[in-house]
Amino acid sequence: MTDPVGAADRLHDAVSGAIDDILAAATAPPGPVFVGWAAAGDAAACPAAYRAQGEDGWGFPGWSPTRAAGAIARAALDLHLDDQRSGAYRMPDPLEAVRAWMRGATSVGARGVAGWVGDLRAERDTATLAAAAAASSRWLAGFVRVLGWPLPAGLALLNVTRDDGLGVAARWWPRKGSPVSVGCGADARIGRMRGAGGHTLVVHRPAAGDDREVHGRASFEAAAGALVHRVAPAAVVVTAGDTGERARVEVDGDMLAAGGGMIVEVVRQRALAVDRGHDPADATPSARCRWCERRDTCLPGRDWLAGAGRWRGGLPVVGPG
Amino acid sequence: MRSVPTLTARTLADVLELVHAGPVGPSHGGHEGHGDGVADDGVSGKLRAALDDAARRAGTVGGWTADDPLRLSKGPVTWLLRCPRRALAGGDAAANDDMVAGLAVDAAAKLATLAPRHPVTVEAVVGYLAASGDTTVGDHLADLGAAAGPLLADIEARVQCLVAAWPAIDPVWWPRVEEPVRARLAGGAVVVSGRLDLLLGGTPTDRPAVVVEVKGGRWHDGMRADGHLYALLVTLRDGRPPAAIVTVVADGTTQVEPVRPAVLESAADRVEQALAVAAPIAAGEPAAARPGPHCTHCPVRPACEVGRDWRPAEVDPAGGRARHVVSGP
Repeated sequence: MTDPVGAADRLHDAVSGAIDDILAAATAPPGPVFVGWAAAGDAAACPAAYRAQGEDGWGFPGWSPTRAAGAIARAALDLHLDDQRSGAYRMPDPLEAVRAWMRGATSVGARGVAGWVGDLRAERDTATLAAAAAASSRWLAGFVRVLGWPLPAGLALLNVTRDDGLGVAARWWPRKGSPVSVGCGADARIGRMRGAGGHTLVVHRPAAGDDREVHGRASFEAAAGALVHRVAPAAVVVTAGDTGERARVEVDGDMLAAGGGMIVEVVRQRALAVDRGHDPADATPSARCRWCERRDTCLPGRDWLAGAGRWRGGLPVVGPG
Repeated sequence: MRSVPTLTARTLADVLELVHAGPVGPSHGGHEGHGDGVADDGVSGKLRAALDDAARRAGTVGGWTADDPLRLSKGPVTWLLRCPRRALAGGDAAANDDMVAGLAVDAAAKLATLAPRHPVTVEAVVGYLAASGDTTVGDHLADLGAAAGPLLADIEARVQCLVAAWPAIDPVWWPRVEEPVRARLAGGAVVVSGRLDLLLGGTPTDRPAVVVEVKGGRWHDGMRADGHLYALLVTLRDGRPPAAIVTVVADGTTQVEPVRPAVLESAADRVEQALAVAAPIAAGEPAAARPGPHCTHCPVRPACEVGRDWRPAEVDPAGGRARHVVSGP
């Protein structure tokens, strides 16, 4: 990537222009559209199922131990590192680091994950706090194990919520007042973000269910990161805690365009959803059909489940009857 | 490779003390030291190479690819070896009292690890499971309603038995509950995965890994295989074998098994055998049915002739030995 700022600018223009066109052609405003990896992955996997999710599915479903794991773990690691700025870094004990951060999360009603934990503490909801500590300490342990300790030189955490509830959200809006916003879900960067480029984004997955998504995830986060930070990353490292693997994907123009295309596709589907929810015409069957709420009524999905979908994990499934 | 001495480690607390005892010294009774981790001795590389080779061979028959892999975990491995037809049963098993008690005991151990200052009650366990996204126990108890009393008492007894023996675990052990671990073989055409009840130490800490499995029922030797598989997966992932597998059972049994090379080789052999069984099934051959006590609760029994014909053990009045019976033609 020879001109990372220029590449980010060109991506900005292309994505903004495409979003403008979609919104202008929409029969009605689609409402607020947040584009993160989850939406991009859903829309790419099966547009019909994505449109059918409706407001309940598109919106943030609320915090849960699993959904809060990364946010708590990053905040806990950030606090741990912050406490040791003046001395030699000691490797964090994940569970203790998480507990230490949770003890400071006392802002009831605050925004973000700190507010959620503050509420749990106020309610003395030990069970949920324990489940959150389990998920986030697992996340943090995997992050440190895969990246190594000391952490790579120049690593800075992203998307960190401070214990006062304030956070640095990595968001991009195509233009002021736009109903569309894009979030970069990278957990860290390695290297400074500067005009000459060269920084790497890090995306940590505690358990990677599907290794095929690595390139799509890297493309999306590279594009979202370029839009948010106005400079394209040189590479995206996608880690998997369960295998210990680190996949480094170099970023080029094609990859940014692919990621930008995923962002635009989410907006396109949301605009379409104003008039057209689930439609078998563009249903794209896959293993996701097994958990899809439309699996009983979606003909392509039913056909898939009755055919290839009867195979699970590489073996045919035998029914009881 | 060094490991925990078998005779001296009786409990999880013993194991943690022993594996952190440091280099060998007279004060440690002459046992090998474990404080700086367990040497790999190239074991992980050899195991991976052998499994990769077996996965490739099986993959050429089974037709699996990185896009559409064979996914193995402890359940499929066990069933492919015990009764291949049962391994193909889809869907989740219906909740029953034993399963629910097992889940509760398992969760109690996790809660005791995560929140050691709080009392581990059945209510707390049900809340923890629900917060973790598993409502099986809560739903089953709610379905039973007033009739849940005996089951609640049983769960309470098992939980308290486990908690009484559960040590306070120092955070420097990096306790990770439900640790996911996965090995990709043959370029991803075969994936072997597991979710450990508890993993202590290991990479990148300076302590050897200890795999902890919690079981809700009564101890039986078959329980060891799960821990063996997990030790194998941790070895493949981290490049260092765990020092020990500790299986804590709600009946009061604690099984401590040092991880010797033979343990890992045995686990790898089971995976290789499972691959060899799975490959022709994936290629279209019928899965053999091997009847046994598992037939009683098998979800595919209605469609399985030999399973339907199998009957539980009868006692031979002459010799007093149990024998299983397959009736029918």
